Amino acid sequence: MAKISAEEEELRRLSLEMRLLEQTAETLQQRISMLTAAITDLSYAQMTLESVEKEKENTELLVPIGGSSYLKAKLAAPDKVVVGIGAGISVEKTLQEAKAMVKERLEELEKTLNSVQQQFAQVAERINADRNRAEGLVAKLREGKASSDV
Amino acid sequence: MSDELSKLPPQVQERLLRLQQLQQTLQSVLAQKQQVEMEKGEVEQALAELQKAADDAVIYKAAGSLLIKADKAKVTEELIEKKELLETRSTVLARQEERLRGQLKETQAKLQEDLSPVSPSA
Repeated sequence: MAKISAEEEELRRLSLEMRLLEQTAETLQQRISMLTAAITDLSYAQMTLESVEKEKENTELLVPIGGSSYLKAKLAAPDKVVVGIGAGISVEKTLQEAKAMVKERLEELEKTLNSVQQQFAQVAERINADRNRAEGLVAKLREGKASSDV
Repeated sequence: MSDELSKLPPQVQERLLRLQQLQQTLQSVLAQKQQVEMEKGEVEQALAELQKAADDAVIYKAAGSLLIKADKAKVTEELIEKKELLETRSTVLARQEERLRGQLKETQAKLQEDLSPVSPSA
């Protein structure tokens, strides 16, 4: 059996590493999508709370029920907002408290998103570096093979 | 790649397969652990929020897409129970992770031994 050259061995190691890195990149990408969705959702809540803040009691509202359809409703208690606190539990809060909570969560999510994006960039950079190195090695191995064939 | 794999001795191929299986199992355990930790974090956060709320605060518990009015003390009790359950699951998964990491390390070391070019004995 032919002896495995150092280049071939490195190529094998690089290929394995790239596969693992690609899996990590995919996981990170999924987290980025989840975080972005959560941020969009909370921004929507923030915008709604800010708009409701300006409205008086009994203001007519249209409540979305999906399918671009709405039900007519009246704002019964503009200062009361029911906020989810996780684990399927919700607490009634004043509008100001709810706004503060939403803001805090948004800030937290944005911080997490930044950190995950940074991790993703690092992994992507490493994949690129590995790919370049692997391409170089393949070229070198081909060259070596071609000259030995002559 | 599969062509290259078939060139390896059967024992090495087997070990590689075992390594891949171990990695997959570890990934699955890690994913489960992450899920449990996330749930635990959520329950802890909910408990902390509940603690801040007044005893007569209006609390709702989700039942599908409905929110049903609930009692703070009862909800707190339920959440504590849930937290304990998640802690137990997390411990079990951590133990599994530790065992898998050990097995992975062992298999990796053996594979490295198998794959390292034999140095001339001279």
